[in-house]
Amino acid sequence: MATQGGGKSEVGVNSSPALKPKDWVLLSLRLVAFFATATATIVMALNKQTNTVVVATVGNTPVKVAVTAKFQQTPAFVFFVVANAMASFHNWMMIVVEFYGHKIDYKGLRLAIIAILDMMTVALASAGDGAATFMADLGKNGNSHARWNKICDKFHAYCDRGSGALIASFIGLLILLIINVMSISKLLKPKHTAYIGVP
Amino acid sequence: MAKTKRLCLLLARLMALGATLSAAIVMATSHEKASFYAVSFEAKYDNTPAFKYFVIANAVASVYGLLVLFLPSKSLLWRLVIVLDVVFTMLVTSSISAALAIAEVGKKGNSSAGWLPICAQVQKYCDQVKGALIAGFIGAIIYLLLLLYSIHNVWDPLFKQNT
Repeated sequence: MATQGGGKSEVGVNSSPALKPKDWVLLSLRLVAFFATATATIVMALNKQTNTVVVATVGNTPVKVAVTAKFQQTPAFVFFVVANAMASFHNWMMIVVEFYGHKIDYKGLRLAIIAILDMMTVALASAGDGAATFMADLGKNGNSHARWNKICDKFHAYCDRGSGALIASFIGLLILLIINVMSISKLLKPKHTAYIGVP
Repeated sequence: MAKTKRLCLLLARLMALGATLSAAIVMATSHEKASFYAVSFEAKYDNTPAFKYFVIANAVASVYGLLVLFLPSKSLLWRLVIVLDVVFTMLVTSSISAALAIAEVGKKGNSSAGWLPICAQVQKYCDQVKGALIAGFIGAIIYLLLLLYSIHNVWDPLFKQNT
């Protein structure tokens, strides 16, 4: 019974409209992470370059073939786009919930749900980044042992845009990690026990 | 009740340690020499930066798992352990994802980039890498479950405490 009363008062205090100074830090971090992951998604999704290559010469006219490099050809980049899209959606939802979610009754679970969702987004975004980094490295340097040629010398713009998207995604991942650590430390604060003890 | 909880936690951490350690070892010992039309082909995990990263990440995660097993249960360091769990989950997840991406290129090739699959020439190497990847995947899943359990463990007693 005491814990039920403590839980209700904790949710009551959380629903006050004024945001504390620490919340502004968290909110601005989430905004930056949202922009970083959204940029990474959009830049990689629009990444496409077409080169015309002369394949053979028939008589006097050279036979030209258009070779296209797009992100869909590599499954790792497709996963990268999907993972960053989900990460930016998560960040956007968290910002919306921060502003408009005060009336929803979380039954005291608010901080735990936020921490768990943050953690899953960090895992997903890190997986997407890891795969895309090493595929980009393969495209840039090739692999002489497996006889895989590099492709960046022919498709400069594709490679440049890809690395830009990767850098934005790394920034987003770092900020997401910081946000996750902050959410978990909010859970660990002894502030909770203070509310339980108050009659 | 608390004893079974502790036992479950210990068991989970032991399994995570086993999975990451076996992933690192199996990947590091994968090695095959083949000759293909007088061209000598040597496949080793060293050839690919993604596999090197996989071995290093799983080795570091195993060392961390071993150290955490020896932590006394009432120490204040458990709060740090939760934060470090997040970092190591991230490391293990990104390593398995990177190794999977490169292994997929090795198995199926990439026709748009002109990269031919190599698994047909070095079958034993491919099988060993596949085993290491499965162990790494299990390790990543156990780390994720451990993190969920740590968060639940931290949050639950704070609400059930009476003063």
